[in-house]
Amino acid sequence: MKKFLQNKKLLTVCVVIIAIFSVLGISVHLRNKRNTPLIIQSLGNDVVAVGTRVVDFPISLVSGGLSNVNELLNTQNENNYLKSKVTDLEQTKARNETLEAENKQLKSALKIKGTLTDYDLINASVISRSPDSWTDLLVINKGTTSGLRKNMAVMSGDGVIGRIVEVSAASSKVELITTSDKAANRFAVEATATNGKKVHGIITVVGSNSLAFTQALDSNKLKQGTKIYTSGMGGNSPKGLLVGSIARTTHDSFGLSDLIKITPAGELNDPSVVTVIRRKVED
Amino acid sequence: MRSWRKFILAFALYVALVLDGSLALFLHQFMTYGDAACLIMPIGMMLIALFDDLNGKEIWLALGAGIVADVYFFGIVGVYTVILPVVTWLLQKSARFLPEVFWARLLAVLVGVMIVCVYNWIILSVVGIIAVPLKTMLFSLLPTLAWSFIFVILSYSIWGRLARNHPFMINLDNYQH
Repeated sequence: MKKFLQNKKLLTVCVVIIAIFSVLGISVHLRNKRNTPLIIQSLGNDVVAVGTRVVDFPISLVSGGLSNVNELLNTQNENNYLKSKVTDLEQTKARNETLEAENKQLKSALKIKGTLTDYDLINASVISRSPDSWTDLLVINKGTTSGLRKNMAVMSGDGVIGRIVEVSAASSKVELITTSDKAANRFAVEATATNGKKVHGIITVVGSNSLAFTQALDSNKLKQGTKIYTSGMGGNSPKGLLVGSIARTTHDSFGLSDLIKITPAGELNDPSVVTVIRRKVED
Repeated sequence: MRSWRKFILAFALYVALVLDGSLALFLHQFMTYGDAACLIMPIGMMLIALFDDLNGKEIWLALGAGIVADVYFFGIVGVYTVILPVVTWLLQKSARFLPEVFWARLLAVLVGVMIVCVYNWIILSVVGIIAVPLKTMLFSLLPTLAWSFIFVILSYSIWGRLARNHPFMINLDNYQH
């Protein structure tokens, strides 16, 4: 021990290693526990976010031009598909308006102020992505000034793609639903079984970024293609957001329980525009 | 105005950091094959260390760049904050033994990129932010090195000019009289 204490180089290395792990531990704790980051961290995020918006502009012009050419080539097929959907859409829209009005009347008659299905939408653009492919983090151009809060659900394409993990004044970080972060807040979901009953569970990541519907009872009554929605039971997301559909049911690595694999509905690969969901009803 | 020149490298690293995030977003469809990483800013810092190996103040530049990168990309401090100054110091020490030619510096940077990737994987796994198997990490090194090779070729002369003409925290006007 005396020799160790007299060796200044070794002592310095030990102190530095302890300091590094202490800083790491404290910052990970703050990241997971605090609703808003420290002011200096928030300022740093916003300063880099401003630069990112400036740099993104010319890059998106080039990238947008290339994707426009690709989209032009697919226009005819898309047009035919959309034409077939337009007739249905008008009818669905009219029916939705009637149901919405009826729902409002029934809620006021029952004196219900808010339910789990009530939410507001906030649109945002993705301005940056974590440089490594492992962390599954996006940065969007809206923050607390636009009403965003930690743990709000984020959608892109047809379904949920993740959740807000850190929110600064003018930018926020979104952790994708495919993240392998052990501290990530998982989505509480539900699906309708073949017997008409609701099956509840949570979304978990298995293997290499595959999604699975776990902790579900009566999972054998769920058919392939069944749509999975958020249940609103987690306390952060509203009810009824589409997460994905059941791809196939297999067994877990121990062969004991069913593993229901999910095809995500959201645009996870190239989300340029996202919608943040602000749940109206409080916990 | 002239006093700002000694901070030009810091501003260039800020632009490189911003480019890291933007290119990772726009090139994601290409980079996702093999889980490649976009490391323009770390590559820039490594090249600066090789071009200006006698400037001890660059360790502080690496530390500052590392803190900003950690806060912006991960929300935790201790990933780039540690490895960037370490790699900068290592490259500065090894620069005196390397010939001052492009290929030698390219190889040194690629070794540095590997160290950065392995360290990132270890730390992010330890704190539980990622759960990536060792095999996946090892396979991701190859595409990362391929992208890094391209980034070094594209940015080599830019970083060289910046490091020679605007060394960090050194006022070259003092040497011109």
